Amino acid sequence: MQTVSVREFIEVSIQNVRRLALRAFTQIGGSWHRLVVLGPLGWAVVLYSAGLAYADPQEDQTVSGRYFDDAPLQFSPSLAQSPMYTLDGLTDWGQDLLYVYGLTTLITIIVFLCVSLPIIYVLIRFRDKSAGGGSSGYDDSQPLPKQVKGNTLLEIIWTTIPIVLLVLIAIPTWQTIFRQDRAVKHIEQGGEALKVEVIGHQWWWEFVYTDFGVTTANELVLPERTPVIFSITSADVIHSFYIPKFGGKLDAIPGKVNRLVYTTPALSPAASVTGEYYTGQCMELCGLSHALMKFEAVIRSEADFKTFIDSHNVPPVVNTASEQRGEQVFNQCMACHDIAGTPSAELPVAKIGPNLSNFGDRRTLAAGIRRNSMVNLKAWIKNPMQFKPGALMPALELTDQQIEDVAAYIQFSTAKTPYSGR
Amino acid sequence: MAAYLSKTGLVGWLTTVDHKKIGIMYGIAAFFFLIFGGVEAILMRTQLVLPDLKVLTAETYNGLVTMHGTTMIFLFLMPLISAFFNFMIPLMIGAPDVAYPRMNALSFWVFLFGGLLLNYSFIAGQVPQVGWFAYANLTSKTYTPDHSVDFWILGIQVIGLASLISSINFFVTIINMRCQGMSLLKMPIFIWASLITQVLLFLSLPVITIALVMITADRTFGTGFFDPGLGGSVVMWQHLFWIFGHPEVYILILPAMGIVSEIIPVFSRKPLFGYPVMVYSVTAIGFLGFAVWAHHMFTTGMGAWANAFFSLATMMISIPTGIKIFNWISTLWGGQIRFTTAHLFAISFVAMFTIGGLSGIMHASPPIDYHQHDTYFVVAHFHYVLYGGAVMGLFAGIYYWFPKFFGRLLSESIGKWQFWLYMIGFNLTFFPMHFLGLQGMPRRNFTYAPDQGWELWNVVATLGAYLTALGGVLFLVNVVVSLWRGQKAGPDPWDGRTLEWSLASPPPEYNFAIAPTVQSTDAWWHQKYPGLKRVEPQYQPDTPETPIHLPNPSFWPIILAFGITLLASAFFFGQTGLYVGAAGAVVILVASYGWSYENP
Repeated sequence: MQTVSVREFIEVSIQNVRRLALRAFTQIGGSWHRLVVLGPLGWAVVLYSAGLAYADPQEDQTVSGRYFDDAPLQFSPSLAQSPMYTLDGLTDWGQDLLYVYGLTTLITIIVFLCVSLPIIYVLIRFRDKSAGGGSSGYDDSQPLPKQVKGNTLLEIIWTTIPIVLLVLIAIPTWQTIFRQDRAVKHIEQGGEALKVEVIGHQWWWEFVYTDFGVTTANELVLPERTPVIFSITSADVIHSFYIPKFGGKLDAIPGKVNRLVYTTPALSPAASVTGEYYTGQCMELCGLSHALMKFEAVIRSEADFKTFIDSHNVPPVVNTASEQRGEQVFNQCMACHDIAGTPSAELPVAKIGPNLSNFGDRRTLAAGIRRNSMVNLKAWIKNPMQFKPGALMPALELTDQQIEDVAAYIQFSTAKTPYSGR
Repeated sequence: MAAYLSKTGLVGWLTTVDHKKIGIMYGIAAFFFLIFGGVEAILMRTQLVLPDLKVLTAETYNGLVTMHGTTMIFLFLMPLISAFFNFMIPLMIGAPDVAYPRMNALSFWVFLFGGLLLNYSFIAGQVPQVGWFAYANLTSKTYTPDHSVDFWILGIQVIGLASLISSINFFVTIINMRCQGMSLLKMPIFIWASLITQVLLFLSLPVITIALVMITADRTFGTGFFDPGLGGSVVMWQHLFWIFGHPEVYILILPAMGIVSEIIPVFSRKPLFGYPVMVYSVTAIGFLGFAVWAHHMFTTGMGAWANAFFSLATMMISIPTGIKIFNWISTLWGGQIRFTTAHLFAISFVAMFTIGGLSGIMHASPPIDYHQHDTYFVVAHFHYVLYGGAVMGLFAGIYYWFPKFFGRLLSESIGKWQFWLYMIGFNLTFFPMHFLGLQGMPRRNFTYAPDQGWELWNVVATLGAYLTALGGVLFLVNVVVSLWRGQKAGPDPWDGRTLEWSLASPPPEYNFAIAPTVQSTDAWWHQKYPGLKRVEPQYQPDTPETPIHLPNPSFWPIILAFGITLLASAFFFGQTGLYVGAAGAVVILVASYGWSYENP
């Protein structure tokens, strides 16, 4: 409860500042005379308030007035709690990176001490204690400090030591780079690995399991303890594919395929049924809703992964009357979206929207930004732009009933596995 | 007030070719644009104080991200550095003016008009939203159909021209116009830093110029340099941009290093430790700076060998940089250290720059960069380098040379308040960003989810940003108050070491009544302490014995600069642009003709 009121306090403060800023804007900005008198400060106030006034997102309210599902604020100083914490290194590759990371951090901290301690010592020890007052500003009767111009030996020392330290960093750096390179080449030349194509879109992710003819979106299902090779590319602008807990990032570049290999982590016994979820996000500025381009990677047991693959292209099961009506409404969605085993998959056009074949099994919607719930799904269909500024999906002219039906169809008929993340 | 200020009126300023006046105009313009860049930063930090706020829209935030970076680099740091080049280079090398005074004026006006053109995007309501690096193909007509990117492209093109002109000017000035006896290895270290900076400028700017021409052609004439659909390459833009962009970082930091290297000896009362090695280090940093650009691209999949090479080259830069840091500490060692505001800023430069440099070594290693790239760790890193480093160094320079610019000292008491607000605010803002980076928070995101655990450090960072803004306000107050009733400075208020302190403050229009000669570095110091015991030195006399020829004021630079900007703006008008461009070309031709036949 305490934390929620912090948010309210800050939001109300910002609203008040905005109101004050608007008043200042009309007061100062309306009169060049005042602007001249106030000078640069006036300018700063005018710009600040103009910025707030110009950007007032009154008309940009989503259902709850937010982009994400509400969650209590956490002011925890513990870094490792973050779902995108970078220092876990759960894959073999991630471990390799962490080794270099740790070694380098250690060296830089030592160097930092070697620089900062002498600075502190010097500033205390050699501060001017004379009375001053001479024409130089110092006490001219006192002798000058010793006029040292340099010291070759010292300078050779602090040229050599950094070289040694850099070699210490460079060797594992090179080893790690080339180990990853060899791993990719090994798989490319016929080594065993699960092949996954990763395609970035503005602003969602497409995942294609080439060996199985399965295309899914925004939820990357991976079997535990399996070598995977990702072929990463983009359908439009540059994106960057990153699951911090697994390892580093690699860019998704149009007209280019980047490859990445690692062995997925083991599934903890506690998560053996539900699967283990990891947050991923696009890391390269890719346009208006770059901040809303997330995804989830989920690690499943070998058997559950097989269920995912096998059930993916099975036609949806329509149970209720609402879902049946929704199936009809979905005809309006077919131009952009596929659901395997329905007429939508036969349509001979390139689909620009995410594949929805197993949508009911996914934990989130709209590229990882909201829980996959009926409320959120209906709100999304009603007006996607409110969730995701600039999204290509138009707000179709559907009645509330039609939205209810199509949401039910998309969400319940496509739930194909017993372990739906919802 | 001094001759060069009193001989004014508006026309006097518009037509001046005096390097000191142009320097002051550069400084004013820099702080004018700093207000834009600073307000943009504050607005962004307000939006990010908590997760999922809607203080700004996505569109506005992305615009501010772009304009903050572009403004701070091209419209604040670069012109402020130019202000120092303009004002100080001729004074420190004992010259009456720069080599090409009218070119100097031209460069200022071109810069100013370019900056206004870029910021006109706010008035036009089409603010560029592609980041200060403007990666293709987000900049293509397909993904940015409006004119917002054109404001960025053409603004930078015009501003780049200004830097190119001034770099040649200062290079020639330093090479050709040093006073009697000042051989290259007797130049003040700031002049060395300036010289290398000019070389970096005129070698790197043509690359961005060409890249901008290519993207303009892509957008306007439908070529496909950066369009993968037409066989172009989006990664090529990154190479071209960073071949310019990385030396650009050294363009921003080397002058600050030079300034700090001037200030620390003065307030330690000792000569710079290892002057020749400092010179070699600056040179080495400058030239290695051209071999490291692709460390911005480790995650683009350049291949193992490329990553390995650029990693090693980048690490090598830390060797000369480390030498400089230890030499600065050695200069302080055994000295008689005075904590003036200028010196406080200079020392904090060394400390903050060290932190930025060390985090830089971390992501010089690609395996680490795979994690840190495009997270807030990198934001922390380059703000420690460019803000804790370059900006702190430049503030040191302002507090140090302000009496030389205007004849009055800046208030030390307000100055120290500003310094501590800056130091505390800066570190509160940017040190937590290291933590946010470790937590994987991506850069350039207009908002973030509440379940990511990023709240605490974002709140701290925003508080820090507001403290810094307060420091900035105090600085402006300090300037106004000190210009009005600050303590009068004599010619040499700090017991300086270089030639400019032999001149009246502010210096007369012709600078040196008697052309100086020097026998060593720190020539002015040796005049005051011939046997390590202070004697009263010979200041420059007020009036020259024989009249000194000075170039006449000219209207042509500002007209020519207007023509260039008009030509650039032709790209905004579609078909009509042909006429606008033709008009611009006519203005350029007429101004060039008038310029050529004018009696300078």
